[in-house]
Amino acid sequence: MSTHTQPHARHRIGLAPLAVLALLLYAAFLIYPLVQSFITSLTNRNVLNATNAFIGFANFAELVHDERFLRSLGFTLVVVLFVTVVSNVFGLLFAMLLNGPARHYKIMRTLVFIPQVLSGVIVAFMWRSILTENGLLNSVLQGTGLTQQPISWLGTPELATLSICVVVSWMTIAFTTVVYTAALQSVPAELHEAARMDGAGPLNRFRNVTLPMIAPGTTISVTLTLITTLKLFDVIAVLTGGGPANSTKSVAFYLIDVAFTSNRFGYASAIAMVLLALTAVVAYGVTYLLRRREAHL
Amino acid sequence: MSALLLNRTTRGRALAAWLVTVAFIVPIYIALVSAFKSQSQILSNPLGPPVPFTWENIGNALSRPDALVQTGLLNSIVVTVATLLVLIPLAAAASFWISERTGWVKSGLIALFALGLMIPPQVVLQPIVSLLQSVGLANSYPGLILSNIGGGYMSFAVFVYVGFLRTVPRDVIEAARVDGASELRVWWTIVMPLLRPATATVGIFLGLWVWNDFLNPLFILGPLQGQTITTGIYQSLGQYSTDYGQLFGIMFLAALIPVVGYLVTQREFIHGLMSGASKG
Repeated sequence: MSTHTQPHARHRIGLAPLAVLALLLYAAFLIYPLVQSFITSLTNRNVLNATNAFIGFANFAELVHDERFLRSLGFTLVVVLFVTVVSNVFGLLFAMLLNGPARHYKIMRTLVFIPQVLSGVIVAFMWRSILTENGLLNSVLQGTGLTQQPISWLGTPELATLSICVVVSWMTIAFTTVVYTAALQSVPAELHEAARMDGAGPLNRFRNVTLPMIAPGTTISVTLTLITTLKLFDVIAVLTGGGPANSTKSVAFYLIDVAFTSNRFGYASAIAMVLLALTAVVAYGVTYLLRRREAHL
Repeated sequence: MSALLLNRTTRGRALAAWLVTVAFIVPIYIALVSAFKSQSQILSNPLGPPVPFTWENIGNALSRPDALVQTGLLNSIVVTVATLLVLIPLAAAASFWISERTGWVKSGLIALFALGLMIPPQVVLQPIVSLLQSVGLANSYPGLILSNIGGGYMSFAVFVYVGFLRTVPRDVIEAARVDGASELRVWWTIVMPLLRPATATVGIFLGLWVWNDFLNPLFILGPLQGQTITTGIYQSLGQYSTDYGQLFGIMFLAALIPVVGYLVTQREFIHGLMSGASKG
């Protein structure tokens, strides 16, 4: 690749200023804030009280006893686990069902992706008008006599958590379906044909042909689902606002709360470090495990 | 006989596929028809078709005294277009420059830019707001656009461009260099056209993400600077949520541009997703 001859060396400066500009902007708006966030996590910085002293790992020690934080951590893990499993299982099933040859399958695939095109805010408002106490779902349930009293889909901690899990899975399935469709379409038809010739049944072919062949797609889909769900914010803000009784505050949501409502920048930064560590462990850990699995299949 | 049987299973599958698809998009169907139904129609029969059809919700949405839809759409267009107009050439140039490096410089820069792909925006938000305050760009559109350009979106753009550049044949570029073209000229007249499929992916996805972004406009712009359509809906509709007619009217208008954009660019859209997914 590096076969450039000396006489052209003078031209090589050409793009360096643009590259440096890109790097400077990236340093200012990503690298510096990241470092700043880490440094702040070791302080009691608070703009309202005008404190900004180095306190070591005291913020992290406080986190361990902070019930709201622990609750947000538990809620986040529940949602992430639910969404990752449900959206990848259904995404793969949808993809297999919608991966038909006829033209109208393409229309179906187009329709199924639409939830990904809408903003989380719009999706959440759509679902809120369906799920809210006097919303469309309860009006249908009561109208058909299935229930007498309206069900509080967003009003109790358990149901609100379930509602968020379902809405986020719904959005995410739109994404995983397309990824798995792409993965399925990269499997050569001859492989299935050969397995059929060898007398392999549908389940057997799914296990031994389809799953191994789509393994790279699975890695991408699972990893991106995890990372996206970990930073979930807009859907919660609209659907429940973190309630009832803080039961649906994710770590990302609690972090914003502490930073911009309580103005405890130091403590918020400590939460940010936990969220970052969680994301890094998940992103690298899952990718590593799935890659190893790819190799074994 | 066997042809008939085959035909029947094909039909059964198509039917199952359509049933699943229709069930899946019921919420979108409800939102769509509700934009053209009266409040009482929406509540009494959410799944019914919009008969009689009414434009009243759209009219109400457009004649709000705060001009939520008009200003929101305009602000979103400004932010999205300005971000893309700067970010695309900048990221393409940086990626081309990086792809011409060798050894640890190249791998180091790629790793540095890849970092932004996994960082949750909440982690860096507060320092960004403080930074913008200290340079006098707090609560401003230039501040929002700058942080869009320099943040995680840059990582995505560089990731796509550097990946794509691996597949670009070098001889065309080398030939232009031998002809004595300047490096800027090589980049603009040869590399950029070659990068067009990657630019389509970057433009479509970043356009959608910037348009739909909620967190950054909410905290970087703040409520005083007017709103993008996404944050505007959030801040204005909290109290209106029982007026379903207007709510669905506003959502219809807000969703129109991204959905139409998706339908128009669908081929590039899916292609971008697929190439990303199959490369791993």
